[in-house]
Amino acid sequence: MKFKLNIVVAVVILAVVGIFWVIPLYALLVGSIKSLADTMSSPLLDLPRELDLGTIARAFNLLAGTMVNTAIITIPAAFIAVTVGSIAAFGIYLKGGKVADYLPPLIAITTYIPYQALIVPLITLIRWIEEATGRLIVLYDTNYGLFLVFLLYYTPMATLLMFIFTNNLPREVIEAALVDGLKPMTAYRRIALPLLSPGYVAALIFILINMWNNFFIPLSMTRGYEKHVTLKIFSYVGQAGTIYNEMFAAALIGSLPPLIIFILMGRYFVRGLLAFTGGGR
Amino acid sequence: MPLKNVYFIPMIIVPLVFVTILWYGIAWNLYLSVTSYSVYNPRFEFVGFKTYEDLFKFRGGEFVIAIVNTIIWAALLVLLGNLVGLLIATAIFQFESSKIRSGLISFFIYPLAISLVASGVIWRWLFDSIKGFNVYLTKLGLSEIQWLSGYNALWSLIGVSVWIYGGFIALLYLAAFYNIPRDVIDSALVDGADALTLMVKIVIPHSKLGLLLGTIFSLLFALQMFDLPYSVLFTNPFTMTIVIYMYNMFAYMIVNISAAACIFLIAMSAVIVIPYATYGIRKWILKVI
Repeated sequence: MKFKLNIVVAVVILAVVGIFWVIPLYALLVGSIKSLADTMSSPLLDLPRELDLGTIARAFNLLAGTMVNTAIITIPAAFIAVTVGSIAAFGIYLKGGKVADYLPPLIAITTYIPYQALIVPLITLIRWIEEATGRLIVLYDTNYGLFLVFLLYYTPMATLLMFIFTNNLPREVIEAALVDGLKPMTAYRRIALPLLSPGYVAALIFILINMWNNFFIPLSMTRGYEKHVTLKIFSYVGQAGTIYNEMFAAALIGSLPPLIIFILMGRYFVRGLLAFTGGGR
Repeated sequence: MPLKNVYFIPMIIVPLVFVTILWYGIAWNLYLSVTSYSVYNPRFEFVGFKTYEDLFKFRGGEFVIAIVNTIIWAALLVLLGNLVGLLIATAIFQFESSKIRSGLISFFIYPLAISLVASGVIWRWLFDSIKGFNVYLTKLGLSEIQWLSGYNALWSLIGVSVWIYGGFIALLYLAAFYNIPRDVIDSALVDGADALTLMVKIVIPHSKLGLLLGTIFSLLFALQMFDLPYSVLFTNPFTMTIVIYMYNMFAYMIVNISAAACIFLIAMSAVIVIPYATYGIRKWILKVI
């Protein structure tokens, strides 16, 4: 076999650069299983002298409620955003013409403009809705409010992602079915959705992970640190001192759901990521 | 046969309403930014550009610091992100097995799968002067670095942002590499090009789309930078970005100043976003114009 110099160089480059990708993950895992005594005395990257799973167990107990709450908000929100988005993308695809020329760029602009810039009007709108309904509808600091705001921000993004995938549907097949009298929504369910399913999963995973990891929306929309997992992790940062094991265990536990999804379904996340740039079909 | 509106409108109505609300939000920001509405003066009096004058003077010109920091952040993230991304992509591209390639790129993308707050927690401790990197620098006989003091904090956190987005940019380059027609590469190989020549003369020059997208998204991520600096150093002036400033003003209920900062941010983003969304995607990616 020929000696492949380029592979050797590639391995060296990846090892040198990759060490910066290994260290944080390693620090997170090692830091989470250190005992209090170890944490007080040993630096971050030293191996623990004894295995202490108590920190992780405590972090799990402290985070479990918030994580369930985050899941209750983000899982339905991600499903609805992607379903609504895929129907809309399919509609735009079928409509074609000027609509398909102008609507996707408008949706793309909405997706790419920094969403944080809309927080003032959004909170103002929410206050107005609360007052107009005599506080019958309360959106600030509630799960419903978080859910709605996630939907508001992520549905346009989901539409954009799904538009990338609907663009590849076989037009002749679908149009023939419509000519035969199939309703568009039936065509969506019977023909488009099965063909779109890899794209649907990619968009779903991408948006779910983004919602789970979102910090700005829960920070602006709620009081305290209990309603969303990123707030809970953030609440540890404020604690002074040198006890990093508790923080690391919280960061680890809070990051496990997206990490596990990423490890199991990474290629869908990558497809979603590429679709987010407008490409990657 | 175009779809009839009676079917079309119900299919797109929800995203359309949401997009309209978000656009209305931009207009509302614009309106707030020319009023005097804030906790000090809770009335919608029209004051025109005075808010923008105040924005630059308020709290000793903190907004100017935020703009400068954000611009530095954007410039360095574009530069370093593209360098690191290109390096990683080039190295990964040397492997022929698609399993190895996708495994490696996933590994470099994992920072995007965890929240920026969690990354902030980890890196805050790695930068800790007593327990972090410094311990090991001292052991190696190197001098300690105060990672998070003064402007060092900005450089350190820019480094972390390269770590967060480097894998993503590598992915963009890798996608561009894969799109190079196979015969272009094959004919270079037939001509006896070695791996380095192939990369420098053929593959990288054919990957302008990677550079373009890497630059556009680095700029956008830098303009949106909030979670990372806020979770590591809160409102530290050395790592204050436009979004942190804007959030801070919002939290203090100085609404008009916050809205004016928003308009600034939107205008800066629009310079990149509007050409990309209206022209770039269709031209370079969907290839329909």
